[in-house]
Amino acid sequence: MSTNATDMPARREGQFEREPARRVFAAELRECRYQFKDGEDEKSPTFVLLPSGERSNRIFIVGTLTEKTRQGEQNMFYRGRVVDPTGTFFVMAGSYQPEAMQQLAKIEPPQFVAVIGKASIYQKDPASAPLVSVRVESINVVDKETRDQWVLDTAKHTLDRVDAFTKEPTPDILKAKEQYPTIDPSLFRKIAYDALAQIKM
Amino acid sequence: MDYSEAANRISRKFASGGETPDVKKIEGKLKRLVDEFGVQPSEAERSVTNELAKEFNLPAPGFGTTAGSTGKNGGTEEKKIAEGVPGEWVTIEGKIVALAAPASPSIAQSGIIADESGAIRFVVWAKSNAPAMADGSWYRIESAVVDEYKGVANLKIHSGTTIKEITEDRSLIPTPTPIKDLRPGIGGIRAKFVQEWDASHERMLQSGLLGDETGTIKFVIWKEPGKEKLVPGAVYNIFYAQVDEFNGRLSLNLNAATILQEEGEIEVSGGEATMTGAIVHIAPGSGIIKRCPVEGCNRALSRQNYCPVHEIQPKFVYDLRIKGWLDDGEKTHNVLIQRDVVESLTGISLAQAQEIAENNPLGMDEVFIQMREKILGRYIQCSGREIDGRLLVNKCEKIAFSTAEHTALLNRAGGAPS
Repeated sequence: MSTNATDMPARREGQFEREPARRVFAAELRECRYQFKDGEDEKSPTFVLLPSGERSNRIFIVGTLTEKTRQGEQNMFYRGRVVDPTGTFFVMAGSYQPEAMQQLAKIEPPQFVAVIGKASIYQKDPASAPLVSVRVESINVVDKETRDQWVLDTAKHTLDRVDAFTKEPTPDILKAKEQYPTIDPSLFRKIAYDALAQIKM
Repeated sequence: MDYSEAANRISRKFASGGETPDVKKIEGKLKRLVDEFGVQPSEAERSVTNELAKEFNLPAPGFGTTAGSTGKNGGTEEKKIAEGVPGEWVTIEGKIVALAAPASPSIAQSGIIADESGAIRFVVWAKSNAPAMADGSWYRIESAVVDEYKGVANLKIHSGTTIKEITEDRSLIPTPTPIKDLRPGIGGIRAKFVQEWDASHERMLQSGLLGDETGTIKFVIWKEPGKEKLVPGAVYNIFYAQVDEFNGRLSLNLNAATILQEEGEIEVSGGEATMTGAIVHIAPGSGIIKRCPVEGCNRALSRQNYCPVHEIQPKFVYDLRIKGWLDDGEKTHNVLIQRDVVESLTGISLAQAQEIAENNPLGMDEVFIQMREKILGRYIQCSGREIDGRLLVNKCEKIAFSTAEHTALLNRAGGAPS
């Protein structure tokens, strides 16, 4: 009974939507080389394109914090290494994320930790290899069961992406094929299998 | 160049609206714009038309700058109400289903007119000298203009509009719209009054939540002579209510609506939902909070015990809640977890939280930190009602590691050829 339904914008249009936290293994995140901004706005989110063909602004990882170092004097920040069954995530929290920095400062490695953060690609100088690092929004000590659940969750999402890659191509999948011509995503199927196999029954 | 054709076209547009503009004058204006100022002929035609519309105090007739305005003779086609698009001249037949007090002296009458296709708000300008229409009667309205006011289509009745009463008896049975399909404008629903809220304004008679099988919507009735409150739990057929949009959320204004109570029962979906994922953020305002003790208020107080309505309240009541984001890797859901669920999820009771808040140097922050440590990054499943994109959680449990899922995933990962 609306008067002109066709002209009205969709009901939830324009409302803020929080970016989901993607699940990705260290072995896949390490391969990222392409990041982009969605939109012209200063506040438009920045995405890292996963080689399996999905954009990710925020990621959720669970692994073992193996090392933590404090760096800098004026602009102090913490660096850490979080290890999953497939490799290492490099995480950092600086004075722009005081909450996250304090949370990280409190944790004594080794511990299982859950990290919510944003990935971005750094290059020290043009000659060095690019490094994917995760800027921490939140970090918290968790138990081994949570870590194991994360491996299941991440394996499932990785397999979903690998399966989708060979089917109907989305714009992000096409972009991934263009940006990562040498990477065969079926590699990540093997990585997911190995990660799952490391969980003791 | 010959301007007589365009001038006649413009003149006809206004002739159908009851005005008789001078064709020679129009021609002169067009000539001046095109020859002297180098204006495109279509643009000149548009601007002369708008100028005349202003002169006759009519809304500008809508047609595109380059549109084939030659085709339509004034554009007053007979339409169904639902087909009217802002900017069009229309002729409709409909029933007056509501009349409202004019909001300004320049308005003679305003209300809602409906046919079987839908309903639209209308305004009769005082200058139009139109005959007063009666609530419940049918009319044929020729050469009115559909325009847009506050994002909602509106029918303008001006001096060029002809109104004829239709005497034959016609029936009009409106059909309700599912709540999830409502759009700004005029709408009707069959719904149950599921929740009554406290009036947040002294002019407000009643507000609350109406629900049907497809969802819920907020409603409001403003104080006006003759307005009655709805009965909580009852089922109503509500027609010709005004659907407003604010910040992307819809609400119903029932002041002009036709409301009929009925005997039936409705299974309100209320957006029952269950979501699974990891807690990726705990928002400020979670943990132990203070609430306003004034009967029916219950608002969260600031740290200085300040209620936005009742000011300083030193005799506050403590409560627990968690506002956060539950993320399944594809989508993040806003969740609001209430006290008893917070207690079972975190293992911290209200009494324990109060003890921490009052004796720890960090006070209420310490409760926040302890709760965050217990649930941030954990996998949980939440059930509750989803309202306005937020899940109000009344049941919540931690998810255990599933060996069956582990095996299934191993098979899936190893099973396919690589």
